[in-house]
Amino acid sequence: MTDTRRQFLTGASAALAGMTVKGESRIAGSFVNNDFIRGHRIRDRALISPAARAQRIPLVIVGGGMAGLSAAWRLQKHGFRDFVLLEMNDRAGGNARSGENEVSAYPWAAHYVPVPGPQALYVRELFTELGVLRDGVWNERFLCFSPQERLFLYGKWQEGIEPAIGLSRKDREQFQRLEDLFTTARASGGFSIPMELGLHRSPRDLDRLSFADWLRQHGVDSPLVLWYMNYCCRDDYGALAADTSAWAGVHYFSSRPPEEKGPLTWPEGNGWITNQLLKRVGSFVRTGQMVRRIARQGTRYLVLTGSVRYVTDAVIYAAPTFLASYLIEGFGRLEKFAYSPWLTANLTVDRPPRGAGTLERAWDNVVAHSPTLGYVDATHQTLRSHVDRTVWTFYWALAEGAPAANRALLLEKDWRYWSEAILRDLERVHPDIRSCVSRIDIMRLGHAMARPVVGSIFDPRRRDLARAQGRLLFANSDLSGFSIFEEAQFRGVEAAQTILHRLGRA
Amino acid sequence: MALVLFISVFLISACGLIYELVAGTLASYLVGDSVFQFSTIIGCYLFSMGIGSALSRYIYRGLVHRFIWIELMIGLIGGFSSALLFLAFAYTQAFALLMYFIVTVIGVLVGLEIPLLMRIARTHFDFRDAVAHVLTFDYIGALAASLLFPIILVPRLGLVRSAMLFGIVNAGVALWSTYLFAPQLGARRLLRGASAVALAILLGGMLEAKRITAVAEDNIYADEIIFARDTHYQRIVLTRFKDDLRLFLNSHLQFSSRDEYRYHESLVHPGLAAIPAPRRALVLGGGDGLALREILKYPQIESATLVELDPEMPRLFSSNPMLTALNQRSFLSPRVHLINADAFPWIDSDQSSFDFIVVDFPDPTNYALGKLYTTAFYRAAARHLSAQGLLVVQSTSPMFARDSFWCIDTTIRQAGLHTYPYHVYVPSFGEWGFILASHRDYSVPKSLPPGLRFLSAETLPALFQFPPDMAPIPMPPNTLNDQVLVRAYDRDWKDISH
Repeated sequence: MTDTRRQFLTGASAALAGMTVKGESRIAGSFVNNDFIRGHRIRDRALISPAARAQRIPLVIVGGGMAGLSAAWRLQKHGFRDFVLLEMNDRAGGNARSGENEVSAYPWAAHYVPVPGPQALYVRELFTELGVLRDGVWNERFLCFSPQERLFLYGKWQEGIEPAIGLSRKDREQFQRLEDLFTTARASGGFSIPMELGLHRSPRDLDRLSFADWLRQHGVDSPLVLWYMNYCCRDDYGALAADTSAWAGVHYFSSRPPEEKGPLTWPEGNGWITNQLLKRVGSFVRTGQMVRRIARQGTRYLVLTGSVRYVTDAVIYAAPTFLASYLIEGFGRLEKFAYSPWLTANLTVDRPPRGAGTLERAWDNVVAHSPTLGYVDATHQTLRSHVDRTVWTFYWALAEGAPAANRALLLEKDWRYWSEAILRDLERVHPDIRSCVSRIDIMRLGHAMARPVVGSIFDPRRRDLARAQGRLLFANSDLSGFSIFEEAQFRGVEAAQTILHRLGRA
Repeated sequence: MALVLFISVFLISACGLIYELVAGTLASYLVGDSVFQFSTIIGCYLFSMGIGSALSRYIYRGLVHRFIWIELMIGLIGGFSSALLFLAFAYTQAFALLMYFIVTVIGVLVGLEIPLLMRIARTHFDFRDAVAHVLTFDYIGALAASLLFPIILVPRLGLVRSAMLFGIVNAGVALWSTYLFAPQLGARRLLRGASAVALAILLGGMLEAKRITAVAEDNIYADEIIFARDTHYQRIVLTRFKDDLRLFLNSHLQFSSRDEYRYHESLVHPGLAAIPAPRRALVLGGGDGLALREILKYPQIESATLVELDPEMPRLFSSNPMLTALNQRSFLSPRVHLINADAFPWIDSDQSSFDFIVVDFPDPTNYALGKLYTTAFYRAAARHLSAQGLLVVQSTSPMFARDSFWCIDTTIRQAGLHTYPYHVYVPSFGEWGFILASHRDYSVPKSLPPGLRFLSAETLPALFQFPPDMAPIPMPPNTLNDQVLVRAYDRDWKDISH
C-alpha cells in the first residue's frame, strides 16, 4: 500500500512538472477555509491579550461543530437560554460544514448519517423534529436514492462497494468468515451507537491489538478482502487497519443492522443538519470567536476570546480535545489522542465524463486500490430526471505514513499539486475528466477526525474526560475515539443534560 | 475508347435516375402521397432535362471541358441532395420548394450531359453509331439504377449515402474523363484538382452521413427514418412506412400512428369520462400532444396543462404538418398551457389542483426515470388531485413486465391512493397496462365522448378484468432509495427477449 501511494505521489509530481503546459487548462480553484492558520495561533499561544470587556453568563459552549450545536439544541429545547456558543470559524458546523455554488450545495466533510438504530435515541428525536422520521418511517426523500454506491474493480463498475465480481473461493470464504464474526459481535450488544451504551459489554482486549493483527489472527489474507477492510478504516477513521484498534474495526461492521436501505443524505451532506440546527440555535452562536484561554477562577470559569472575557458558571468544551492542552489551564498533555489528516475537494463538473463502464452514476463512487476514497455526487439527491452540471466531493484520507508527516505535506504542497493528484486519480476511471471539470476547491484538514488507534477506546484519560465531574464538561466526538455524527450529537446532548442538572436547571 | 466512353454514358445515366428516385422516395416518406410525389418529380425532372437539352445548343466550344464541369456539379448537388432535403425537412418549412429546385437543377444539368456526350462521340464515330450507342447505354444505365435502387441501395445504404455514392460516381467519371479525353483538353490540372476536391467532399459526406440521419440505427428501426434529432435531453426519431408513422425516444417506441388511438383513448377516457365535472387537466410527459387530443374532446375541460422536459417535443408536434394532423393541432388549442419543466421538481413545488392527471412517462428503464414511479412521486402527485379527481399512470405491460406492472400498483397504493388497474391490446406494443388512482371509489363511466375508434361503454368494464397470466402478484413498492421497479423491469424484459 505504501508503495502504491509513493508511486502515486511521485507520479503526480512528475505529472506536475511535465504537464503544467497541458495542465494549464481552464480548471480554476483554490484552497478554502484555512482553519489551521487560526488553529496554529492557539498552538503558538499568540495574541493572548487582555480581553476588552467582561461578560457574566451562566454557560459557555466552546466549539460550534455537531457536538456544540447539539448541546445548544438540547439546552434551547429545555428552555435554557443563558448561554453562548463560541465558534472559531466564520461558520459553524465543524466537520458538518457545507458550501454552495451556482450548480449545487455540497458537503465539505461529513456527508451522510447511516440509518439510525433503535439505540440512537437523540438522533431519532432530532430527525423526528426535522421531519426526517415520521411515525417510525424514514422519509424517502432523505434516504440515499438508488443507485447508492458503485466500485470500480477489474476495469468495470459494479453496484455496491463491497467487492462482488470476480471473487475467488478464498475471497468468498473470508468475506463469509468475517460476516459471521461480525454477526456474533453485533449480537453481543457490545458494539453500539452511541458506543457509550454498549461499552461495558464489549471486550476490552480487542482494543489491545490492531485491526490488521485481528484480521491476521482470523486467517484473513485475501488481498481483496484486506483492501475492503482497509478502505472501510480509511473511510470512517482516516487510518489503515494497521493503525486502527481492532475494537474500532469490529465496531464499524457490527454496530449497525446489516440490511438497511440508506444512508440518510442531502446534497450539502450533514451541512443540512447543521443548517437546521442553526435555524433553532443560531442566535446563541458567535462565530469568528477564537477562544484563547479557559481558566478556573474560584467557583467560576474564565473564557477568554480576543474581545470578551466571559465569566461563567459552566463550560461545555465541544472543540477538538487535542486543543484543550493549549486552551485549558492545567489540562496537561494528552496521550492516545491521534488525529487523521484529510483532504477534501469539491469539483464542479460541467458535463458527465464518458466511458469507464456503463453502470449509472451512483451517489458514492469508489475505485478499488486507489489511495483516495473516491467521490460523492452532490446532485444525486435531486428529484430532477435530467442533470447537466454537478459537483463531486472528493475524499482523500492521508492514511499511509505518519499523520504529522502528512500534515506537513498538506501544508507544503500547493493547490496545483493537489488538484493534479486528484485529477490523476480520477483519470483512472474517467479518462476525459480534465475536459469535464471547471473548478476544484480544496480543503486541507490537518486534524480532520479522531483516529481510534490501539488502546484509545479504553484509554483511562479518555474515559475520565467523557465522565468529567464538576462544571467543565467535554463533549467532542473524539471522546468516543472516532468521529461520527451520532457520537458527536450524543456527547453534546449528554453534556447539556448533565450541565442542566449541575446548574440546578434540570 | 469506344467501350470506356459508353461505360461513362451508362454510369451517368444511372446517376441521373438515382437522384430522381431519391427525391421521389424521400418526398413519399416525408410528406406521404407517393403517387403525387413521384408523378410531379418525374415530370419536373424530365421537363428540366428538356431545358438542359435545349440549352446545350448554346455550348459551342470546349465540349469535354464543360462536360467535366457539369459532371462535377451534378455529383455535388445530386450527392448532397438527400442530406439537404432531410435537413430542410427537419429545420425549415421550405422542404417542397427546395426539393423541386434541386430536381430542376439536376434535371437541367443531366439534360445537358447526353447531347454533349453525343457531340463528343461524333468526333470518334459517325453520327448514326454515336446516337445509337449513347442512347442504348443511357437506357441500360436507367434499368440498372432502377433495379439497384430498391433492392440494394435503400436497404443497405439508406437514402443519404446512396445519393452520395452516386455523387462519387459522377465525380469519378469527371476525373476519368480528364484522362480519357486528355488530348482534347487544356487546363487538365485544374480539372483534376477540382475533381479530386469534389471526390473528397463527397467521401467526407459519406463518412459523416451518420450525423445527418441515423444510418447507424437503420438496423434498429424497421422503417425509413424521416426525422432524427439529438436534443439536449434525448434522441427523437420518426420513422415512416406507408401510412405508419412511428416515434422513438432514445430508441424506445412511443407510438405507431396506426394504433396509437387505442393507447391514447385508453389512457384518457376510462378516467376522464368518470369524473362528474372535470375542469382542469394535467398531463405529465406526453409531449406528442396525443393525450391532449383526447382530453380536448371534453368541452367541460377549461384548461389542460402539459409539463414536458424537452421543448423540442411540443415544438415538433405543433409545427410539423404530419404530426399536427395526428394530434389534431392539440398544442394550438387556447385551452392548452405548456410548461417546460422537469416533472418531479415541478409537481413538488406547484400548488394547483387538478381533476384529472395523466402520468405518461417513458418506461422505467433507468434510475433517473425510475424516480418518476416512486411513492414520493405519487404522494406529490396526489396532493394535486381534487377530491373527486382521478390520476392515470401508464404502467408498462402487465403481460411482458408483470412484476413491474404490479410493482407500480403497489407503489401507488403505498402513496395512499386507491388503484384501479386495467389493460388493453395495442398491436404495436402488445398487451398494455394502465392504473387509475384516486382518493375515492371509482366506477366505470356509463358513457364516453362520441367518435372514439376503440373504446365503448359496453366493452369498458372488461378492461378491468385480468386473466390468470396477468393477475396481480405481490411486489414491494418502488421508493427513491430502493428502486425495485427498475431492477424488476430490467429482469422482466430480459426474460422475454431471450
